[in-house]
Amino acid sequence: MLDPEIVAFIQTGVSISLAARGPDRLPSMSRGLGCKLSPDGRLLHVFLRRSQSSALIDNIGDNGQVANVFSLPSSNRTVQLKGNDARVVRFDPADGPIVDRHIADFLREVVPLGTPEAVVRTILAYEPDDLVTVVYSPAAAFSQTPGPKAGKPLD
Amino acid sequence: MGLRLDTIRECLEGVIPGQIATCDSEGIPNLAFLSQVQFIDNLHVALSYQFFNRTRQNVLAGSAVCLLLTSHLTGTQYRLTLAYLRTETAGPLFEQMKAKLAGIASHEGMSGVFHLRGSDVYRVLDIEQLPGPALPLPAPTVNYLTALRRATGRLTACASLAGLLETALDCLGEEFAIEHVMLLMHDEGRGRLFTLASRGYPESGIGSEIPVGAGVIGICARERIPIRIGFMTSEYGYGRSIRRSVEADGQGDGLETAIPLPGLPEAGSQMAIPIVAFERLLGVLYVENVADLHFGYDDEDALVAFAAQLGLAMHHHQQAEEQAEDAPITDSPAVPLAGPPLLVRYFAANDSIFLDDDYLIKGVAGAILWTLLSDFVERRRTSFTNKGLRVDPRIRLPGVSDNLEARLVLLQRRLDERAAGIRLAKTGRGRFSLAVNRPLELVSG
Repeated sequence: MLDPEIVAFIQTGVSISLAARGPDRLPSMSRGLGCKLSPDGRLLHVFLRRSQSSALIDNIGDNGQVANVFSLPSSNRTVQLKGNDARVVRFDPADGPIVDRHIADFLREVVPLGTPEAVVRTILAYEPDDLVTVVYSPAAAFSQTPGPKAGKPLD
Repeated sequence: MGLRLDTIRECLEGVIPGQIATCDSEGIPNLAFLSQVQFIDNLHVALSYQFFNRTRQNVLAGSAVCLLLTSHLTGTQYRLTLAYLRTETAGPLFEQMKAKLAGIASHEGMSGVFHLRGSDVYRVLDIEQLPGPALPLPAPTVNYLTALRRATGRLTACASLAGLLETALDCLGEEFAIEHVMLLMHDEGRGRLFTLASRGYPESGIGSEIPVGAGVIGICARERIPIRIGFMTSEYGYGRSIRRSVEADGQGDGLETAIPLPGLPEAGSQMAIPIVAFERLLGVLYVENVADLHFGYDDEDALVAFAAQLGLAMHHHQQAEEQAEDAPITDSPAVPLAGPPLLVRYFAANDSIFLDDDYLIKGVAGAILWTLLSDFVERRRTSFTNKGLRVDPRIRLPGVSDNLEARLVLLQRRLDERAAGIRLAKTGRGRFSLAVNRPLELVSG
């Protein structure tokens, strides 16, 4: 079970990325567009664009191993979660507001830091029917905030 | 490989942090943010190694590497597949990345945390542009090819070293639209750079000095490689670095500190370009701007190409002044000396010269001026040659690579700025004249 504070953190205006690896251990990665936790708090759902994630989706289907990073640009606070039971499921249109809220939160975070809104909106642009959901149970959590404690497991 | 890395270099500036994915030997993937990606050529990049973290462990264990880079101009994302080759812990690439990282660290509030341990060099195996919308690239403010063509054309028309240096700085302003520029010459014997010309500052700073190895300019000179920093950083603010470096090597006395360096008090962007000809460092071009990220890879490329041309032209003019000598012209009739006498005080310990108690110059240029003025006072001599100075035992030039012509330009400019009634003027190749319009009182010691 994730610490409630981390659960809250990963649902703020963080940047989200997901990595997997193929049978040849070649890594693949893609940007996420928001996330949510299942009602029982055990499963994390991360939303991705299928068109930008073909290798990642294939790799998850192959072995279920994922690394998932959440980073808040204004503080550099970064958390990495890992899972080994990931699978790709159909995007539930009921999650659409989560994606839109994530983009709004991220804009509020990075536009004051100097990135133009049009650039951020372009990076996170999506077509609703291009979205897929990756579901996994976080098995480990690490701090990756730059510094000497980076990479240490979170208690 | 379809996409060329040199066409998407803005993604490497770190404005939008890149990300790196690796995999350990157990098959567990790992993701991390990158501080910096350095373009080497179309097939090679270097990543900054700052911490011995999971990414590094995986890379050293042979993991393939996947990068996600994003253009802060168009919003386009790219995935790169890389293979690790080696780590460099010293030398030009390392120093370039260390300087850039200092700016990035300062920008991200990570000064003291980010510390470059090495430059990890990778081969680029593949570049993939991710599908999605893209913004149009903003129109460039300068067409660099046109600027370069016009500027190098103007350099070829110069007849003397002094004219060449003036034209070079004019070109940077007029053709490249760069407003704050310094040109420093290399004093090989003393391991110093001295400012010979500048643009865009309230004081010219001509004659001010920087030790090789100190700050952006000094490191550029030592490594003979462009140094470009996109954010303000106290670590490379030259004033502070210079003082520290000078104190550390105990040579504070030898450094010209009476003439302050010009410079913007808070430069967001700094770039220093070495001027090299035939494997000798001749000097450094330094440009700066108050804005962050003002200079990019294209600016760096354009100025490196310009500096290469400038270096050849400088080399040519220095050689020409040494080897050729125009026939002497008849000394112009002596100008009558008028006005109150000018007190010229000379201190042999460091060859420094004061005019009416105001410091003018020291070192080789000081020894040259004292010699010229002594000859003028003793026998009204006004006509001199570079060759004559070179063999004059009173001057003690350090050797062949002494930049004599550049020192004469320095002296000429300091005198012009002071406007105390002493002037130097070129009268032909390898030949110049002294003009004095006030009585001189020379005092040694």
